[in-house]
Amino acid sequence: MKREIFESDIGESYVKAVHSSGLQIYILEKAQYNSAYAIFGTKYGSIDTCFSVDGNETKVPEGIAHFLEHKLFESEDGDAFTKYAKTGAYANAFTSFDKTCYLFSCSDKFYENLDILLDFVQSPYFTQATVEKEQGIIGQEIRMYDDSPGWRVMFNMLLNMYKNHPVRIDIAGTIDSIAQIDADLLYKCYNTFYNPSNMFLCIAGNVDTDRILKQVKESVKQSEPVEIIRINEPEPDEVLNPYVEQSLAVAQPLFCFGYKEAMEKPNRSVKERIRTAILMEIIAGEASPLYKRLVDEGLINDEFSSEYFTGNGYSAVIFEGESRDPQRVAEEIKKEVDRIKIEGIDKKLFSAIRCGMYGNAIRMFDSVEGIAMQFVDCAMQGSSLFDEIKYLKSVTADDVFKRIALLDNNKTVLSVIKPIDSQE
Amino acid sequence: MSEKIVNLAEGAQGFFVKTNRFKTTLISFNFYLPLAKETVAEYALLPFILTSCSKKYPDFSLLNYKLSKLYGARLDASAEKYGDWQLLKMTVSVINDRYSLDEDSLIIRACDMLLRLIFEPNTENGAFLDKDLNREKRKAIEHILGDISEKRIYAKNRLIEEMYNGEAYGVPKCGTVEDVEKITGESLYKAWEKMLKTAFIRVNVVGSSVPAGFFESISEKFSSLERTNIKDCKISAPTKDTDCPQTVSERMEVKQGKLCMGFSSEVYGNDDNSLSLLVMTDIFGGGPYSRLFSNVREKMSLCYYCSASAIRQKGLITVDSGVETENCEKAQKEILNQLEIVKKGEFSDFEFESSIKSICDSLNSYNDSQGLLDNWYTLKINNDGIYSPSDIAQRVKDITREDVISAAKGVKLHTVYKLLPKEGN
Repeated sequence: MKREIFESDIGESYVKAVHSSGLQIYILEKAQYNSAYAIFGTKYGSIDTCFSVDGNETKVPEGIAHFLEHKLFESEDGDAFTKYAKTGAYANAFTSFDKTCYLFSCSDKFYENLDILLDFVQSPYFTQATVEKEQGIIGQEIRMYDDSPGWRVMFNMLLNMYKNHPVRIDIAGTIDSIAQIDADLLYKCYNTFYNPSNMFLCIAGNVDTDRILKQVKESVKQSEPVEIIRINEPEPDEVLNPYVEQSLAVAQPLFCFGYKEAMEKPNRSVKERIRTAILMEIIAGEASPLYKRLVDEGLINDEFSSEYFTGNGYSAVIFEGESRDPQRVAEEIKKEVDRIKIEGIDKKLFSAIRCGMYGNAIRMFDSVEGIAMQFVDCAMQGSSLFDEIKYLKSVTADDVFKRIALLDNNKTVLSVIKPIDSQE
Repeated sequence: MSEKIVNLAEGAQGFFVKTNRFKTTLISFNFYLPLAKETVAEYALLPFILTSCSKKYPDFSLLNYKLSKLYGARLDASAEKYGDWQLLKMTVSVINDRYSLDEDSLIIRACDMLLRLIFEPNTENGAFLDKDLNREKRKAIEHILGDISEKRIYAKNRLIEEMYNGEAYGVPKCGTVEDVEKITGESLYKAWEKMLKTAFIRVNVVGSSVPAGFFESISEKFSSLERTNIKDCKISAPTKDTDCPQTVSERMEVKQGKLCMGFSSEVYGNDDNSLSLLVMTDIFGGGPYSRLFSNVREKMSLCYYCSASAIRQKGLITVDSGVETENCEKAQKEILNQLEIVKKGEFSDFEFESSIKSICDSLNSYNDSQGLLDNWYTLKINNDGIYSPSDIAQRVKDITREDVISAAKGVKLHTVYKLLPKEGN
């Protein structure tokens, strides 16, 4: 198996290997640790609703990637949870916009657990009866999110930011859309996206690299790589609606305020992501003048946070939190963006934020879960685990300043969840 | 990994967990005070106001700037319930000096900062300043009101309030909005003094070494304070059982209902004698192998989640689930039916063994997380000896089926709380 070793001066190194099937494998050994964390995933998420293989175009119901994730735990010889129960591992899975990941963590019997993981993800078993049972469970999951203001405020924003891109739809789909799912459709999606050439295996902890690679060689099925073409309608640079609100049982309004960035190419590089992350801290991070002003004026509390939300074909700078006056918060953020565009970046603040992010990047290496999750990003973006630490040493305030041009005050969406009483 | 306790003052201990596996060092100050309606809000506000500013860092923005310069040092505050006690926690964690590009020691600077925040708050004439007090009061009130947003948490909190009405454990962990509104700069200053003088205190260091002179400097700070009337926080009252379980229902604008159930247990206490309750609760409603997951969720398809957890020091088991109104009765009946099955010992060897393995596997992972280790030792003050997570994992392995059945037999339904959609939804 082709292997590459990556080293850094923080006392960590890892191996990246590529299996003949195209499966990418990332392993970081932590001999001093008791536990290990493993993720087997595919580049397949809620946004992959329309695709073509060998010229055959397929459109599938919303929420099918997530549905498939639930169903994959069942195999012909029992479900994966039962197998993990025999080893004591903690197992779970999640589906996001652009990926589906199956994971376990354990402090014992790692290789048995890895066998279970590799086996069940490669052994689909769907029947009409099991599909119907899952519709009840996922139906309740969807209802749970319908009542979650934090979830709704974000999805309402995406729904009004994007006109065509499927990032606008809920990851779990709707009660109606999941009713259209059947076993045949699940097999079709599985056979397309769960091809090893579209997948990755990410491991960190008390493990032995050679043993893992041997095990992978023995259990990963050989199959011809597939070329998947993801079909998306072109997305305009403009937002669909600048404002959206909904009433739910909350005490004070929640908001999510996002800038839609124009996409000149499908994906953002690691450097672009880091520059944007620094920029967001400069605009509204906890050490920024705007944050102080918003807290002093009673407009935000500790729930305030920001996120660079980006993936294949979408990119948004998002600020969210609770506020008695979300409109004011959004206006203040816009004003601050304008001010920085004119006055430039405060060099002292930039240097403190860069220093803080450097420390956080090092801190991440204390967590095997954190490392495995970062490996997933590496697989998705084609980057290296040490890129961030390296780039944080050289990035300049000017590099960061150039990113602010992407924030256009005319391409924003403010999503608000209002308390029910204030409307009635 | 090894642990060491040092005495810092009357009722104050330094606790060092020596471990070389991390690139960071974590230091936490833990204050244990009696949980009471009259004092809960003031005490709960303290960790937050103290970690927002001090004499040396009069403005929170400056403090955040300094934390960034300290390579993203993390400063955290919390106020939680610990049985019938209130646990106030203030933590700093910082990357180890070898990763710093500066000459000064980061850890020494971080320790100095934490001590100044706790012992030298920004006060004048025996009162906290209005600007700081008003900011933190507003945030505390918004936090209390915000609990309603996450219905699962809200419903669980309501269950506890109803179940322990009039008892210490029923007091909301940060008090009520009215309690917070009453706080003044002077009253908070007095609460701060009382915290320093009367709380049981544990200072944890998790890392490769204790910063030079750190414990000594804390001792010195306490030497000028008269530490008296320190309560023994090892004991919490067990949950009273009842022959007439109560049901409380509330309606709200929600789509999915929440069903929460509270049970009393005859086995209680945060020590080795109650480990059987831990295993019993896990078989009942812990992992995917548990009775509740495999029956209420998987077989009956009634919900996305239905799980049980135990608060051992109170002898309390809670079950919570998200269900449709029309399925609420059915789910409740099945949850009670599953409890009966555990009581009769009709759970399988597979379920029993899976539970032991899962608990042990998880305990043996604790050593890989500073945060988990800090919490573990913070909550282990009840034990006379020092037990690491791995020590307890060893003891869990000794629990038998009979222990589990015996623990289950002492479990009785106490309160059912239902959060239901308004009619017509």
